[in-house]
Amino acid sequence: MTEHSLWRFSRALHRAINDRRFEEIETLIDDDVEWALYGPIDMFPFLGARHGKDAVLAVIRQIADNFHVRRFERESIMLGVDSAASMLRYSLTALDSDKPISLRVAQFAQFRAGRLISLRVLIDTFDLVEQALGRAIHLPKMSSAG
Amino acid sequence: MTIESLNKQRVRHLLDAFARGDIDAALACCTDDVSFLTHAPIDVLPHMAPRHGKSELREFWQTVLSRYSDIRHKTLHILADGDAVATYMQAYFRKRSNDRIMQFDIAVFYSFRDGLVSEIREIIDSYDLVQQVLEREIGPLITDGQPGEG
Repeated sequence: MTEHSLWRFSRALHRAINDRRFEEIETLIDDDVEWALYGPIDMFPFLGARHGKDAVLAVIRQIADNFHVRRFERESIMLGVDSAASMLRYSLTALDSDKPISLRVAQFAQFRAGRLISLRVLIDTFDLVEQALGRAIHLPKMSSAG
Repeated sequence: MTIESLNKQRVRHLLDAFARGDIDAALACCTDDVSFLTHAPIDVLPHMAPRHGKSELREFWQTVLSRYSDIRHKTLHILADGDAVATYMQAYFRKRSNDRIMQFDIAVFYSFRDGLVSEIREIIDSYDLVQQVLEREIGPLITDGQPGEG
């Protein structure tokens, strides 16, 4: 039975981020890949949309420059023939401050011939910003409008 | 029809029922002990707190429908595997208070038991969602260090 493309991609991505070994991930990304990590790009420049392998590899290098993955757990996973959806909990370390960051992430990936052609990632970004700031953001409670 | 196709159809049915405001039909897709969890700042959006059971979910959905109209979902991805379904959607909600449209992407993971939804878990770009609800940028509040001072 052939291994699902998600597993190879996931291993290569973590190797790239933690060990700065980019050679394998390069072979697993399609030239025309569409990539989007949604969130405030003014605070986290590695978030946002990218098109094409070079742009995506650049963003993976940016993530590797900023974070180390300590642990991750797949809380939910669905595998299609050439697609995958998962909900993950990541424990990261921010390299500039050595601060631990815990993230919950939804990831939707599509593959063609074993290569990533689309990745959309949603993050609980309000929580991410609060952790990066190291304090809560106090805003008015939306009891009737939100 | 496979269980996966059936469960995808059930999710679409639930989403359509909710979008047209038919809470009874949406709840009929769920188990009595359905649990709902969205990862969002509940100190800012208190109605988005976790819900357990149909009556709490009904109360949540009623709150949403009382504040928003013209609810639409565009499903970009839907995957099913056994008793689980994941959807990636673009959602559009019109605020009843001022007719402004909120548009956000949302990932929803459903678990099924005996053909009914027993668990709903959502992940949203919550920073952007809060900005759209408040109709203001949060960034300046943080950098000015005023309301955000902890």
